Amino acid sequence: MHEVANFIDLNLIMIIYLFLVGFVGGLVSGFIGSGGAFVLTPGMMSLGVPGAVAVASNMCHKFPKALVGAIKRYKYGQVDIKLGLIMAVSATVGVQIGIQIQHAILARWGQSGSNLYVSLAFVLILVTVGGYVFRDARKCARSGGVEVVSALAKKLQKIHLPPMIYFKTADVKISLWLTIPVGLATGMLAATIAVGGFIGVPGMIYVIGTSSLIASASELVIAFVMGLGGSINWGFHGLIDIRLTLIILAGSLFGVQLGAIGTTYVKDHMIKVVMGTIMLMVAVSRALAIPKYLNELDVIQMDPAVISLMTQTSFVIMVTALLVGTVIILVGIWKGRKAEKKDRLLHAPPIPETASH
Amino acid sequence: MTQVPKKKPTAKMLLFGGLSVILYTTLFLKSETVMQFFTRGGIYAALPIATVFLFSYIHGSFAGNFWSVVGIEAQKTRLQEKMEQQKSRARRTERPRPRLRAHT
Repeated sequence: MHEVANFIDLNLIMIIYLFLVGFVGGLVSGFIGSGGAFVLTPGMMSLGVPGAVAVASNMCHKFPKALVGAIKRYKYGQVDIKLGLIMAVSATVGVQIGIQIQHAILARWGQSGSNLYVSLAFVLILVTVGGYVFRDARKCARSGGVEVVSALAKKLQKIHLPPMIYFKTADVKISLWLTIPVGLATGMLAATIAVGGFIGVPGMIYVIGTSSLIASASELVIAFVMGLGGSINWGFHGLIDIRLTLIILAGSLFGVQLGAIGTTYVKDHMIKVVMGTIMLMVAVSRALAIPKYLNELDVIQMDPAVISLMTQTSFVIMVTALLVGTVIILVGIWKGRKAEKKDRLLHAPPIPETASH
Repeated sequence: MTQVPKKKPTAKMLLFGGLSVILYTTLFLKSETVMQFFTRGGIYAALPIATVFLFSYIHGSFAGNFWSVVGIEAQKTRLQEKMEQQKSRARRTERPRPRLRAHT
């Protein structure tokens, strides 16, 4: 039934490392809806965990984390469950399409070809979408943090193609058919680079027309559904290392709730700032990995020492991307709390003077 | 109107924290047996899935209460206010209207 996998022996340093990476990943996911888990798979593999076990254990921590984050953000009125579930259905189909494409590439060009495809997809999508998100975040910041519905979303909402669906929390009415491409793309990206939210969240903002708060919160519903399905599949093959999953989960459940709380302290466009920054930095990281695969495919010839240096730099930039996101979120929370305290002091009722004479 | 300071959920945090420690200690003390069953595949896939649900409830409650106890809590958002307004509007419309029944 299941493949024989090597499960590693854990020591205290590994446990602390996984807990911290889990916390940081959870914090980013709770804030932008996804994007925290992409460092975990390479992070676990750097400890000697086999690739398939790393992917399986990562996915198995992802869905309960998304569930806890979604419940927390639902309490803040930010989750559109209907939108999340409808998107999750088409995203599940998208995952299957993405897997088929991966298999076809693997069969035609081998492991290096597959790695090259994944890295190219990373760079192309993250530069295009991340660049757009980042530019829009700067525009919002200049206009005092006011978010406007994109022109594309406004046009699409006017197309009357039954069945039309009204998403109550998002306050958006749009044809079901127009949500499907966004869901499919989310799933395909999830199957390719393991972070579907890099398409899902911008897709919900710019194509469907929701606010970034609703999009990032509803993405957690999609992540839960897809993660649960994927984990059942990995569990069926006996590849989940429950010890790794639960250590990461221990950190990420602290992080995801802090990230969710953080969304209530910052202006909406901060979600776009964090998302755009992480996406662009990850794009640079993956671009540095491309020469390695081109070298393996004999397209270019490079010195192995240079390739090794580029690979290490790529990993460091990926970790830095997550840390930069973490710093932006924590500073945002800190500033928000400071402003709240100041506001409370200003509006506090005056202390009644006692009669001294 | 003055705001009444909310009571910190210290007892809840300690309860869920204690339960969380028990769960994690059991897992690591019995890790060999756990790994043996949890990686069998097939129908045994239910074991890791059920375990993460249980841990996410216990440890998630501990983490949530921990942030409340250290004083990091969410601000009331515009969306929450909108949701509460919608609920109170719905309650108002649900109330049956008084009817005058005249027997002729």
